[in-house]
Amino acid sequence: MHAAGRSLPVGGRRRTPDPKEKLMALTTAPARSTPPTSSAARTKVGVDRIDRKRQRWGWLFVGPFALVFLGFLIVPLAYAFWMSLQTSTLATGTQFTWFANYGKAFTDPIFLEGLARVGRFAIVMIPAQMLVALAAAMVLDNLTTVLSKFSRLMIFVPYAVPGVIGALMWGFLYSPRFGPGSDIFSLFGLDAPNFLSQDSIFGSLVNIVTWQWSGYYMIIIYAALRGVDSSVYEAARLDGANSWQIALRVKLPMISSSMVMVLIFSLIGTLQFFTEPQVLRAVAQGAIPVSYTPNMYAYSLAFSYSQFNYASAISFALGIVVFIGSYLFLFLTRKQNGLK
Amino acid sequence: MAILVPPAAEAATPTTDRERRRKDQQRSGGRKIGSHIFLLILVIYFLTPLWWLIVASTKDTAGLFGGSGGPLWFDGEFHFFDNIVGLFTQQDGIYWRWLGNSFLYAFAGGIGATVLAVLAGYGFAKYRFRGRSAFFSLLLGSVMVPMTALVIPTFVLMSSLGIVNTAWAVILPSLLSPFGVYLMRVSTQDAVPDELLDAARVDGAGELRTFFQVALPLLRPAIVTVLLVSIVATWNNFFLPLAVLSDPNLLPVTVGLNNWQALSNAGAGGEQVWNLIVTGAFISIIPLIISFLALQKYWQGGLSLGALK
Amino acid sequence: MKSKILASVGLIAASAVVLTGCSSGGGGGGSSAAASCTNEIVNEDAAQVTVWAWYPAFEAVVDNFNNTHDDVQVCWTNAGQGNDEYTKFSTSIESGSGAPDVIQLESEVLSSFAIRDALVDLTEYGANDVKDKFTPGSWEDASSGDAVYAIPVDGGPMGMLYRQDIFDEAGITVPTTWEEFATAAQQLKDAGTGGVLANFPTNGRAFNQALFAQAGSVPFTYDSAKPTEVGIEVNDQGAKDVLEYWDGLIKKDLVTTDDAFTADYNTSLVDGTYAVYLAAAWGPGYLQGLSDADEGAVWRAAPLPQWDAANPVQVNWGGSTFAVTEQAEDKANAAIVAKEIFGTDEAWKIGVEQSALFPSYVPMLESEYFANLEYPFFDGQQINKDVFLEAAAGYEGATFSPFQNYAYDQLTEEIYSMVQDEKDASGALDDLQETLTKYATEQGFTVE
Repeated sequence: MHAAGRSLPVGGRRRTPDPKEKLMALTTAPARSTPPTSSAARTKVGVDRIDRKRQRWGWLFVGPFALVFLGFLIVPLAYAFWMSLQTSTLATGTQFTWFANYGKAFTDPIFLEGLARVGRFAIVMIPAQMLVALAAAMVLDNLTTVLSKFSRLMIFVPYAVPGVIGALMWGFLYSPRFGPGSDIFSLFGLDAPNFLSQDSIFGSLVNIVTWQWSGYYMIIIYAALRGVDSSVYEAARLDGANSWQIALRVKLPMISSSMVMVLIFSLIGTLQFFTEPQVLRAVAQGAIPVSYTPNMYAYSLAFSYSQFNYASAISFALGIVVFIGSYLFLFLTRKQNGLK
Repeated sequence: MAILVPPAAEAATPTTDRERRRKDQQRSGGRKIGSHIFLLILVIYFLTPLWWLIVASTKDTAGLFGGSGGPLWFDGEFHFFDNIVGLFTQQDGIYWRWLGNSFLYAFAGGIGATVLAVLAGYGFAKYRFRGRSAFFSLLLGSVMVPMTALVIPTFVLMSSLGIVNTAWAVILPSLLSPFGVYLMRVSTQDAVPDELLDAARVDGAGELRTFFQVALPLLRPAIVTVLLVSIVATWNNFFLPLAVLSDPNLLPVTVGLNNWQALSNAGAGGEQVWNLIVTGAFISIIPLIISFLALQKYWQGGLSLGALK
Repeated sequence: MKSKILASVGLIAASAVVLTGCSSGGGGGGSSAAASCTNEIVNEDAAQVTVWAWYPAFEAVVDNFNNTHDDVQVCWTNAGQGNDEYTKFSTSIESGSGAPDVIQLESEVLSSFAIRDALVDLTEYGANDVKDKFTPGSWEDASSGDAVYAIPVDGGPMGMLYRQDIFDEAGITVPTTWEEFATAAQQLKDAGTGGVLANFPTNGRAFNQALFAQAGSVPFTYDSAKPTEVGIEVNDQGAKDVLEYWDGLIKKDLVTTDDAFTADYNTSLVDGTYAVYLAAAWGPGYLQGLSDADEGAVWRAAPLPQWDAANPVQVNWGGSTFAVTEQAEDKANAAIVAKEIFGTDEAWKIGVEQSALFPSYVPMLESEYFANLEYPFFDGQQINKDVFLEAAAGYEGATFSPFQNYAYDQLTEEIYSMVQDEKDASGALDDLQETLTKYATEQGFTVE
């Protein structure tokens, strides 16, 4: 059902696709450029030989990245894994204990509690960021006014603020007596809640992350939207679709691969939640214990308690959970994620 | 699918068309206002903490903790330029050294990461080489192990290479952007049709020329996005430099300001530099904002399909 | 597009050139802590000892040392404060390289590093020769049994700083016992001025522990000669009494429980929300840095309230030392630096006047100069003579566990639960005992 691709003359420019045909293609499957089936003009054997030789170029392009990847990720990762297979106690030194640390990790109530907590964060934070980002990107895509240009920058700016600086700021802003909370809430006739108490720390963290990261996701989605041929929208409009329908039924599917990518990285980032709670700890040591998230737990095990082996195991255990979660998600969205 | 209206009904369309157009304009006018209000709310939400930062940089330490105008408004006194001077003198102006380091790491790391990601993304998207899916899965999988696991091994590795406590210790690991590779792969698939590449090959272009002259121009928005994201990521990098750098002259501005904060938290006497921390924080976010402004013209609409029109 | 790529490549190449220029000798392998010195080396030919320290105004002290020692020179960098420095140190211990020769360590973490064989026992290098130059309490903190792991530098004997003007307004007399303290707290609340008498932070850590110690609590026994044995009794009667006392005050809203050392806490210190700051001797410096603008405030110093006025007990909060690391190549010279860098009167003049440190160095403590020092912040009160000298002299030292960081983190969590009404003081400490015992056993210790 890809009318636009079929009639391609070799060596010439593609004729401007009829918007109607493109729309038809859209309503049946997400738009993606697909490779043409092997042209009948070439023989199978010849194609294979040329093809294989050409495909090896892939390694050349991927090569430089692969080198750095090997050196600075795989090698340290392997070493970290090896460390996790040993146990070292403060009193008795290091022994090789195979997967004992992993058994300990997956039955460790602190680790499991941390996992449940980041799970809850994922359920709340990811939709929050996505909604804000998606809504903002869609709106910005429609407008070209000065306000929209200004907004685009302003929404992105928090992302440009480093985590540490952001946490410093929010530490001030959340402070019960020093921050503007009471001023702002009194505008609405309410009392400001204690943002750093045990009950509200969850919401406070969700707020910081949404504030900091929505702009980032918005930019990605916006770039994807900008890459969409606007003639598609004309076709839809001529068919009588209103803005909402265009947004939901036309735009969203067209950027689905970007959306999935953004969601996956957001999921991975949330499960590895570290920077914001770690830095906010400075003003909320009671509400945020050292093991608030699994990643923080691994960090304090390594750098506060010198238990590097167990810390390694916790990190890998977290990695396993993230891995399962991500692949599950990619599998469920395999039609939209744009990976072939 | 009623684009071509049968001629018999044409006589009836002018009125309905005009009515529809008027309704459209009203609706879009109303919608435009709604959209703008929505944007305004978002802008206020995102800007308030930054406004606080701007206001706070005009105060001195005493003003920060007991100022007259409250947290969101100015004091009676305006100390912004005093604070800037303070930034020059504190520890022999090391703040500017930190800022320079951040620039160096961010641009070297960010540009390097983008180059690697663009090449790799193209390779993944357009070639079917042996081991491709295995490598890509490995790539995705590696992102899933948190960086806390990697610090000690990376430190040991760098130690044996003799680069710990140097700029390379920060830049080399920053060249890795799995997100960038993923983004480039997806963008390349979406924006660079195989037909075009085939066409170029048939015309006699080699693989590299095809890449540079055919694919790259189509990828500009994606490249700019990856560039921006990589620069920001390296600029904001905190944990890695904290772990591998002990020489204060090599610190990026994030770690440096954190040092000052720790110093002020527990320090005595003249070490309370809250005003400098706040002003330093404010200045440190300006370069990124400028970068964004400089790069945003690449996002003006419809570039990716320009070659096809 | 091509020009853009060329430009990028050019930029990377240029960066590479700049980088190799900037890496100032750190690329040659080996001990990377010797990369560059923040201070100037006076005698280039002498042996160099690398030092990590974060003391304020430390460069002057380093210069003082370098100018008076021809055969040893100090190369100093500030590798971060407290935990930041410890993170780097920990990393370098684990990887086997990158540590400095001499490092500033707070006394409470000495055992934690000693047990990882990261510190040198200085008795082999003449530590006991300088023993009587330092207060017995601080020397005890730096030792473990017969071994001496560090040379003391500064201490934190505790006293009470209070707002005279608020006391006058509410008609409160300065409390000398904790009973009087509780009465004063109630008085202040009744007077309705809006603040509380003091703050009891859940994250006080060593502060909380010091208060417990004042009632006789000895939470840990540990001797590095027998490194696998540790005694834990965090829920002894002294600790329980003190925590119950504070819980009582908290439940009656007579004190607050804000986290210490945050912006909020600073504001409260400055604007009179806390009328009293139970402080270590470095407290005045801290206060001063925060609040030069508040002209109406009148601060004074008094001794810490006691449980038994007839038998006063002095306690200490904080304090740091210089230790020699196992990775030092020239341990003899490193030991000399540790012993002598803050071991002279000139160095301590700088330490007192510019860094606002409280010396553990006896000659300075016993000097007329120090006793008679008038502090303008306290309107000229001689706070050393009045308060801190006696506190320093009376302090007998404390023993810290080899997992002190963990112990403090757990203490914070338990106190926080108590404040949240999830358990009472006794229960919190019993739970703490259980947690720490379990942890120590897991770590291979024999727990007594």
